[in-house]
Amino acid sequence: MRISPNLVPMLVVALVVLALYWPLMYLANIPVAQRALDTGAALPCQTAFECATQLRSPVLPSPQQLWNGFGNLMFPLNSPNAIPINAAVTAFETVVGLLLAAVVGFFFAIGMVASRAFERALLPWIVASQTVPIIAIAPMLVVLLGQYGVQGWLPKAIIAAYIAFFPITIGVAKGLKSPDPMALDLMKTYNASHWQTYLKLRFPASVPYLFTAFKVAMTAALIGAIVAEISTISFQGIGKMLAENSRASDVVAMWVIMLSSAVLGILLVALVNWLERLLTPWRRTSGGAAIPAKQARLSRREGVG
Amino acid sequence: MTPAHRAVFGGYWLGWLLLGLGFGLLLWFIVAWWDQSEPASSTQKLLIGLGFLGVVWGLARVAQQFVDTSNPVVGFTPAALTLLALVVTAEALLRAYQVPPGLIPTPSRVLSTLLEVRDVLLQDAFQTVVLEALVGYLVGCSLGLLTALLISRYVFLERGLLPYAALFSSIPIVALAPVLVKMIGIDWPSKAVIVAITVFFPMVVNTFRGLTEVSPLSLDLMRSYAAGEVQQYRWLRLPNALPFIFNALKLGTTLAMIGAIVGEFFGANGQGLGFRIQIEAGRFGFDIVWSAIIVASVIGIAWYGLVAWLERRLTGWHVSFR
Repeated sequence: MRISPNLVPMLVVALVVLALYWPLMYLANIPVAQRALDTGAALPCQTAFECATQLRSPVLPSPQQLWNGFGNLMFPLNSPNAIPINAAVTAFETVVGLLLAAVVGFFFAIGMVASRAFERALLPWIVASQTVPIIAIAPMLVVLLGQYGVQGWLPKAIIAAYIAFFPITIGVAKGLKSPDPMALDLMKTYNASHWQTYLKLRFPASVPYLFTAFKVAMTAALIGAIVAEISTISFQGIGKMLAENSRASDVVAMWVIMLSSAVLGILLVALVNWLERLLTPWRRTSGGAAIPAKQARLSRREGVG
Repeated sequence: MTPAHRAVFGGYWLGWLLLGLGFGLLLWFIVAWWDQSEPASSTQKLLIGLGFLGVVWGLARVAQQFVDTSNPVVGFTPAALTLLALVVTAEALLRAYQVPPGLIPTPSRVLSTLLEVRDVLLQDAFQTVVLEALVGYLVGCSLGLLTALLISRYVFLERGLLPYAALFSSIPIVALAPVLVKMIGIDWPSKAVIVAITVFFPMVVNTFRGLTEVSPLSLDLMRSYAAGEVQQYRWLRLPNALPFIFNALKLGTTLAMIGAIVGEFFGANGQGLGFRIQIEAGRFGFDIVWSAIIVASVIGIAWYGLVAWLERRLTGWHVSFR
């Protein structure tokens, strides 16, 4: 097992950020603490410096507060108000949304590859749907689906899918078009039917592109799921916790939830990475993508040195 | 298209005929049902279905005609017809089923509402787009550019910072929004900060790739000219990075709009498109919600178009445009 050359610099950067956090925290919190003391609020401390780490709604929470808040929100693990269950619900919605998006994305991508007319008629709107702040539609879509009896996790998954289908469509279309013209010619000489060409050549060729698209789409779907939870009456999920604590102005809890959802996002993308490694083993060994990266690195070194 | 194909398709006149008939059917129904208040009979619903089928079928035939054109306006015709078909069909269906306007407003109603409340929406758009999205976008993009320059120059920074930038791209920004709004306040600067953070990371990652994925041959050439580091950046790395930078700029326009709108969901000072959408969706004022979405979309598309136009002007030499 080789240790990544990035490890030491990454650790140094993390330490610098941590070291800078303390003075920043004091700098941001002391004026607030002073004001609280001046107005005579009941605080368990005398000086502004002491109070800076104990404010109820700090500008930047102290590490101690974060740690306590983390303990409060994480445990007990199976409580409906704790992060683990809510994160699992959001993750479930995200993954279902991603799968829905994959189905829709494949449909559009096959249409676009098979027919130029289809592409001409729909592609501008698929692209335009991305320049549109899709998220704006989420609150309305949720209310609408609720009116027709679609409730619970399904509307959130649908919104997640709606936000995630675009990168998948584009990625799969690129992948379906990616086979070597020689390979396509070979299929033709074998008298392969349309379907055989897709099954034996185009679909396998699109798998690497699919995973690249999945990584982008996973984050998009997570955002969609969280926004959907925020803008509806939901009983579970990270979004519901965010909305609740935002209303209750519990700053420390909001920080904890923010950090946990960041971890959730990273884990979900890592899941896609792991699946990619599992399902496309030929890319790992042949290292098709590794070579250009290495070249770029070499050329860079030369340029710097 | 070969003559054999043309024979099979029977020319395009059939397509245009179907298209015209379909639109005629749908429009006739809308006009006939303009003031009615009860649901249409099943025969009429069947007619709407037939009209829609005619439009789609006609479109599929007609679109072939526009496949090989290079004129962007002519090439856009099928897309424009698709939008028109969807809007007209939606109008007809909503009228046929008499869906209450509190649930799904008809397109015509949305348009008239848009005209009525345009002053309010323009004010909202000014706050959301100019103050929040644009300021955040400019700040975030310039900071991202600077960071990428530094990272590409110092290997230590590259190793220490770039992995974090990649990590950050998988974080859902919505979770950031409430914290930042609480920290900075409900006025526009908090949203500008959210936007800046969202556009920052794609900018860093893309620009860095552009600055470093330089052909070794060009680097050798620069070296044989004894070019200094500044010259190397000026004449080789930055021009090479320009297409990548513009990719990030285009991606950023979308992210900026989304960031600003989502930020407003968590608290605004009574103005802004996101605030308007949130409030009106809560009290079933969907015609205003749709109007706000139309305004946001038009601005989003225009902004994207502007950046794409700039890209064409500045990187016209690049392979992808030749």
